[in-house]
Amino acid sequence: MDGSLRKKIGSVATWGLTFILMVVICVPGLWVVLTAFRPNGEVLAKPPVWIPEDPNLNNFAKIFGFGADQVAIPVPAYFTNSLIIALTSTAIALLIGMSGGYAFARYRFSFKNGLFLGLMLSRTVPGIALSLPIFMIWSRIGLIDTKLGLIIVYVALNVPFTIWLIDGFFRQIPKEMSEAAQVDGCTRWQAFWKIEFPLAKSGIASAGIFAFLTSWNEYALASNLTRSTDSKTLPVGLMDFTAQFTIDWAGMSAMAVIIIIPALILTFLVQKHLIAGLTFGGVKG
Amino acid sequence: MAEISLKNVVKRYGKVEVVHGINLDIEHNEFVVLVGPSGCGKSTTLRMIAGLEDISDGTVSIGPEVVNDLPPRKRNISMVFQNYALYPHMSVRENLGFGLKIAKHPDDIVAERVNEAAEILGLGELMERAPAELSGGQRQRVAMGRAIVRHPEAFLFDEPLSNLDAKLRVQMRTEIKKLHQKVKTTVVYVTHDQVEAMTLADRIVVMKDGYIEQVGTPMEVFNHPVNTFVASFIGSPPMNLLNATIKGDQVVFSDGTALPVPTRLADLVRDGQEVVFGLRPDDLTPVGHGIAESGKNAKLTLKIALSELLGTETILYTSISGQEAQGKMFGPRNVEPGEVLEFEVAIEKVHLFDAVTGKSVRKQ
Amino acid sequence: MATNRPPFWQREQYTPYLLLLPALLTLAFVVVLPLLFSLYTSFTGYRLIRPESLWQWVGLRNYKRIFADGDFWIAFGRTIVFLTIALNLEFLLGLGIALLINRITWGQRTLRTIMMFPMMFSPILVGYQFKFVFNDNIGILNNALQSLGLSDGAIPWLVDKYLANFSIIFAEVWMSTSVFAILLLAGLFAMPRDPLEAAKVDGCNPWQVFRHITLPFLMPFVFIAMTIRSLDVARAYDIVDVMTGGGPAGRTELLWTMIARTGYDNARMGQANAMAYVSILLSIAFTYYFFTKLLAARKYMGGAD
Repeated sequence: MDGSLRKKIGSVATWGLTFILMVVICVPGLWVVLTAFRPNGEVLAKPPVWIPEDPNLNNFAKIFGFGADQVAIPVPAYFTNSLIIALTSTAIALLIGMSGGYAFARYRFSFKNGLFLGLMLSRTVPGIALSLPIFMIWSRIGLIDTKLGLIIVYVALNVPFTIWLIDGFFRQIPKEMSEAAQVDGCTRWQAFWKIEFPLAKSGIASAGIFAFLTSWNEYALASNLTRSTDSKTLPVGLMDFTAQFTIDWAGMSAMAVIIIIPALILTFLVQKHLIAGLTFGGVKG
Repeated sequence: MAEISLKNVVKRYGKVEVVHGINLDIEHNEFVVLVGPSGCGKSTTLRMIAGLEDISDGTVSIGPEVVNDLPPRKRNISMVFQNYALYPHMSVRENLGFGLKIAKHPDDIVAERVNEAAEILGLGELMERAPAELSGGQRQRVAMGRAIVRHPEAFLFDEPLSNLDAKLRVQMRTEIKKLHQKVKTTVVYVTHDQVEAMTLADRIVVMKDGYIEQVGTPMEVFNHPVNTFVASFIGSPPMNLLNATIKGDQVVFSDGTALPVPTRLADLVRDGQEVVFGLRPDDLTPVGHGIAESGKNAKLTLKIALSELLGTETILYTSISGQEAQGKMFGPRNVEPGEVLEFEVAIEKVHLFDAVTGKSVRKQ
Repeated sequence: MATNRPPFWQREQYTPYLLLLPALLTLAFVVVLPLLFSLYTSFTGYRLIRPESLWQWVGLRNYKRIFADGDFWIAFGRTIVFLTIALNLEFLLGLGIALLINRITWGQRTLRTIMMFPMMFSPILVGYQFKFVFNDNIGILNNALQSLGLSDGAIPWLVDKYLANFSIIFAEVWMSTSVFAILLLAGLFAMPRDPLEAAKVDGCNPWQVFRHITLPFLMPFVFIAMTIRSLDVARAYDIVDVMTGGGPAGRTELLWTMIARTGYDNARMGQANAMAYVSILLSIAFTYYFFTKLLAARKYMGGAD
C-alpha cells in the first residue's frame, strides 16, 4: 500500500516535471510560430490577443515580396544565399572531414593526439574574435561580401567537428572489413568506397546535416563578412528588421519560421546517429 | 597451391621489435599451424604474409615471387578473420561473390563458383540472408566460402574458431580439416589453442616472444619438445616440469626422492647437472590404471590432493617433492583427497631439460 | 628488395598525413594565418579608417590600455560569471532532465526529439525568440503575468541590470541544456546493469547508488558534453547581440560584444584584436581543461588506445 502510493506520487511527479519541461522548451517557439501567422497590429494589441483571430500567410507573402505592402528586406535573396553557402560548404567540409576522419580512425602516426587536439582547439576560437583578422584579410583579397568568402570560412569552421564525428563512425566499423576486402582483391581506395563508405554512410550523412545546420545558423562571422544581397544570409537578414525604428515582430517571426523549418526537419533525421557519433567518438576516442 | 617462404622476417613498430627474424618454409598444399600464447607474434607473421602489415626486414615469398612490396590484392591469397569480417551490407551470396566481382570475372563464372563454394560448405538455403541473421557457425562457414571461391594460392586463417562456443569449435575444426582435404591448398593457420594445432596441422610452428621455438609434425612436437616452453605449451593437461639434480644414474629431487635416468639419455647427462624433469600426466598413473607397459616403470607413492573426474579418465593432483604434479587414472574409480596411491612412472618417456638453458637433453 | 616499391604517396606511413592535408591547409588558411595576422595587429595601432596605421607598431600599448580599462575588466568578469553560471546550470538541469526522461518509458522517443530542438536552433533565433518573450511591452511573459494578475506593471526584463542578465542566461541555458541532457541520456542508456544491481545487493540506497555508481559512470559523458559546449561558448555573442546588444549602457556587455563594438563600430582593430586574444585564450583554456578531463576519464573507462 505504502509502496504503491509512493510509486503513484513518483509517476505523477515525473509526468508533472516533464510537462513543465516541455512547456519551457516548446512555448517560446510556438509563440513565434503563432506570431508569424498574424498581423503586426495584433502583436502590439493591449490587452494581448492569445489566439490569432485571423491566421493567414500575409507575413510570408510580404517578406517574399508578394502582395501590395511588401517589406524592403530581400528575403528571397538571403534565402538563396543561405542555401548555396550552407550546401556548398557542407559538401566540401564532408569531403575534407571524411579524408581526415578516416586518417584518425584507421592509421597510427606521430603527433596523432596533438593534431586532434589542435583541430579541436581551432574550432574553439570565438567567431567574433576570428572575424576581425578574416575581415581584414578578406577585404584585401576581395573575398569580403562574397559567397565564396563565407563558404571558405564555414568549411574551416565545420572541418574539426566533422572529423570528430566521422572518425567515430569509421571506428565503429571493424578494421578487418577493409582488410578482408583488400585480401579479396580491392585496392585500399576500392575497399573504402565499396565497404567502409556504405557502412558509415548514415553516420556521414548526419555529420553533413550537422555541418549544414552550423553554416545555416551561423551569425557572428556572417554578420561581419557580408554586407549586401550578394552574400547576406538569413540570420544576418533577421537583424535587418531590428534596424528599423519599429520592430516588425510579425515579419521577423515569419522569417524565423523559415530559418527554423530546415532545422526541425533535419533534427528528426539525424538525432539517432548524431548522439551515437558524439558519444562514440568521445568515449572510445 | 604454392609454397610460402619466410626469410629472416622482422617486424618492428617504431623501435619495438615484435618478430625477430624468423625463417620458415611452407610446402605446397601443406597445412601449417602457427601456435603460441598471445603476443608471440603469430598473428603479425600471418598478417605480413597477407600483406596487411609492412615487412620491416627480410623477405616473404609466395611461389617463386618475393611479395614484400605487393599489396594484399596482388598476392592471390585469401584470409579468414577472427571475427569473420563479413560485409554486413551484403547478402551471403554477395559476400561470396565480392572478390570475383572485383576481379571483373563474368557473371556466369561468378555464379558458378559461388554455387560450388556454397555446395562444399552447405550454405544452400542461407544464400540470400544478411550476415546479421546468421549464427556464429554459419558466419564462419560463409567466411570460409568467401576464401575458397577465389581459388587462391594459399588460405590464411587468423584464429578463426576463437569466437565460437566449445562444441561448435570442435565441429568447425573437423570441417576445416575436411575442407582442406577437398580443396587442396597451402594453409597457414594461426591459433593459441594447442588442441587445434595438434588436430589440424601437418606441421606445427610453436612461437614465443617473436621467435620460432620449434617446427615439426604434431607427433614430433609432442614427443620431442626441444625446450621446456614447447613441452609445457603442447599437450593437455600440460607436462609436469619438476626441478631435480642428476646424481650418478639417478634423478634426485630435493627431498631425496630418486628415479632412474632414462637409458636413452644416460650418456648425455653429467653428474651434478641441474635439470628439469619432464613427465606427461599420461605417464604418471596409479598402478593398475595406466596404459604404459609396466616392465621398466619406476614406482612412486604419492598423496592425492584433488581429483577431477573426466569420465574415461581422472586427473589426479598430487605433488612430488613439494612440487605440484598431475597424474592420470585410466579406467577410473573414486579417489578421495588425502588418499595415498602407488604410481607407476613410465621412465623411458621422461624428458630431461637443462635447468639453465631450458633446452631438451637429446642427441645432437 | 627495392624492386617495385610504390611511390611515396602510396606508402602506408605517409597516407594519414596526405589524408589530413586538406583539413590542415583549410585551417591554416582560415584560422592559423588570420590569427597570426591578428596577433601582429594587436601590437599595432591599426584603425579601419586609417589603413597606413597597420604599420604603426605600438608594442604592448593595446594590451596595457585594455588591462587598465575598468569596463574591459567588468565585461571580462561578467563573461566568466556568465559562463560559470550557464555551464553549471546546464549540467545540473541536463542531468536532471536525463534522469527524468530515463524514467519515462511511454513516449520517450518523442520527448527526446523535442528535447533536441533547441540544439538545432540558430543562436540568433534563440536570441530573437527571447527578445520577444521578455519584451516588456508585448512579450508573452509580461502578458501572461499580467493576465494572471501576478504583476500589475510591465517588468523591464531586458532593461533592468539584474533581470537583463538573468534573461540572457535563461536564453543561453534554454539553448544549450539539451547538449547535456542528450549526451547524459545516451550515457544512462549505455550504462551496464550489473554494477547497479551489485550495488543494490550490497545494500546501497538509491542515493548511494546514484552517487557512487551512476555518477562516476556518467562523468566521461559529462566531459564530452562540456568539451562540445566549450568549443562554442562564444555563440552567446549572437544571443546577446540580438537581445540587448550589450546594452542598455553596457549592463549586459560580454567580452565578445565588446570586441565587436571596439573593432567594427569604433574601428579600433588593433585594440579589438588584443581583446580577441584574451577571449581566444579563455576559450582555449576552457576547452583544454575539459578535453584533458575527458581523456583522463576515458582512460579510466579503458576505452582509449
